[in-house]
Amino acid sequence: MSETPKDLPEGASRRLQELEHGLFTSDLSVNEFLLIKEVGFHPLGFVMGSSIYHTGIQTRKWGQSQELTKLTGAMYEARELAMARMEEEADELGADGVVGVRLDVNYYEWGKDAAEFIAVGTAVKAENGVSHRNKLGKPFTSDLSGQDFWTLMQTGYIPQGLVMGTCVYHIAHRGLGQTLGSAGQNVELPNFTQALYEARELAMTRMQDESNRLGASGIVGVRLEEKSHQWGSHTIEFLSLGTAVVKTSDEVTLPKPTTIISLDN
Amino acid sequence: MAEVADDLPEAAGRRFADGAFSSGLTVPDFAACLQMGLEPVGYVQGFCVMQWGWRGMASPYGGFGAPNQGGPGSYTESWRCPHGFVSAEHRGWGQNFEQSWVEDAWVQGFSSAYERMVEEATSLGAHGVVGLVDTSGRLGDLGVLEFRVQGTAVRVKEGPAPVDGRPWTTYLAGQRLAKLIEAGYAPVSITAGVASVRIWAYCITEYLTEGSATAWGSQMAGAEIEQTAKAHMAVRRIAREHVRAQLGGDSLHGASLVTTERELGQGDAELQCILRGNRVRRFKSFDPIPAPRPTVRLS
Repeated sequence: MSETPKDLPEGASRRLQELEHGLFTSDLSVNEFLLIKEVGFHPLGFVMGSSIYHTGIQTRKWGQSQELTKLTGAMYEARELAMARMEEEADELGADGVVGVRLDVNYYEWGKDAAEFIAVGTAVKAENGVSHRNKLGKPFTSDLSGQDFWTLMQTGYIPQGLVMGTCVYHIAHRGLGQTLGSAGQNVELPNFTQALYEARELAMTRMQDESNRLGASGIVGVRLEEKSHQWGSHTIEFLSLGTAVVKTSDEVTLPKPTTIISLDN
Repeated sequence: MAEVADDLPEAAGRRFADGAFSSGLTVPDFAACLQMGLEPVGYVQGFCVMQWGWRGMASPYGGFGAPNQGGPGSYTESWRCPHGFVSAEHRGWGQNFEQSWVEDAWVQGFSSAYERMVEEATSLGAHGVVGLVDTSGRLGDLGVLEFRVQGTAVRVKEGPAPVDGRPWTTYLAGQRLAKLIEAGYAPVSITAGVASVRIWAYCITEYLTEGSATAWGSQMAGAEIEQTAKAHMAVRRIAREHVRAQLGGDSLHGASLVTTERELGQGDAELQCILRGNRVRRFKSFDPIPAPRPTVRLS
């Protein structure tokens, strides 16, 4: 067994050693487990990584819409650390990848301006010994469920990594004059439209940059989330997430769909 | 690749210059689209932030004036208060009226966001946009409303460019879109119509004292509340008329009608109804789809 990387806790080392002796843990449902086995993968263990990060504060100009680059950096870095630690655990198990990754942020009473970022998922390995690691030699990560993983494999794509981009943006407060100036009218506020539009495009571009580093052919399941965390209503984090995939084969093994009437909804 | 249109943000240009695709579809929908020969090219979006104020919203408790008149041709209906005119706080009538200015503003916000999304899709050389999602939401405490339209732009594999250069759009994706096409219909565009009706209680005294006659126009227990019922009927009728006016002979598929009621003050409520659906056109004669087969799922 390789040495446990220094930044994983001691408890992890014992747990992972046990897993190497054949026992596996996973948070997969029975269907997911069977589907992952069906495409030739075996679950190795439930892996996780976390980072408690002091996101700090950044002064905002009251009347100006702007990106809060320090906060953007902090939110990104913290998630990246949690993901990297989860990848280390998976690496330790000799995994090819991690499926069903979930990223969460928790706030605690004891930590002002601090948050815990957690990444959890199930490490999997190909049963035929062929490596499915990504271009960077690391286990791939993805937020796909077992069902999604199976379906994606049938279309000739394989996941490369869970990619993300974020942008923390402060929306200007409107002065009394501005509010009165357009009072009683329902009109577009082009500055606001532009600011929020730009913020979202930045988050998505950053996500796409990550996927380019992995040499991916595309990103599936893109989501754009908006969270105010604990910053008040004028500061919003735009978080864009998706699974970068690469096309490995032109052969589509998905059976041709047939029209059915389902007895459930 | 086409030039990025002028009113899209700079970052959009950089995002689209990239070779890789992005897709907001779920994996099953993604797989179903590939099966149909639809290749995702990019996640596209459009937004519009609107000032959301109240025009023509004089206090309903003035009492002196005659009932409000909506714009020409708009819905309005009034009821006399059983007490007649009592005081400045107690007007002599109650009223339902269509807020056409709210409808106009909604159309402006929605269409701007939609057009921007279509522009993004056009600059990607897309043939269509699938899995469209539209939402709107208030921004903080700003008294502003943001309209958002997002979807996944697709290209038809080896297909010709869209006829009039404009991509088609649909709320459907994956298997539901496949079924539609199998049944001989092609998506044209999404369509959405909104109606907004304001309800002022006909008797503020009854409203405040929760008296024997209800504030909304009925004297008997267990009877229909006439004023509210009429407002509900009117708001749905107006939304349907707006959508029908946009169809231009095409069919509406997978429509959804959502009505929300909001209390704005004492005896003062607003009804909003949004009707969304897919405008579809028959492109081939009815092709019988395979005989349905019942299935039982284990999950």
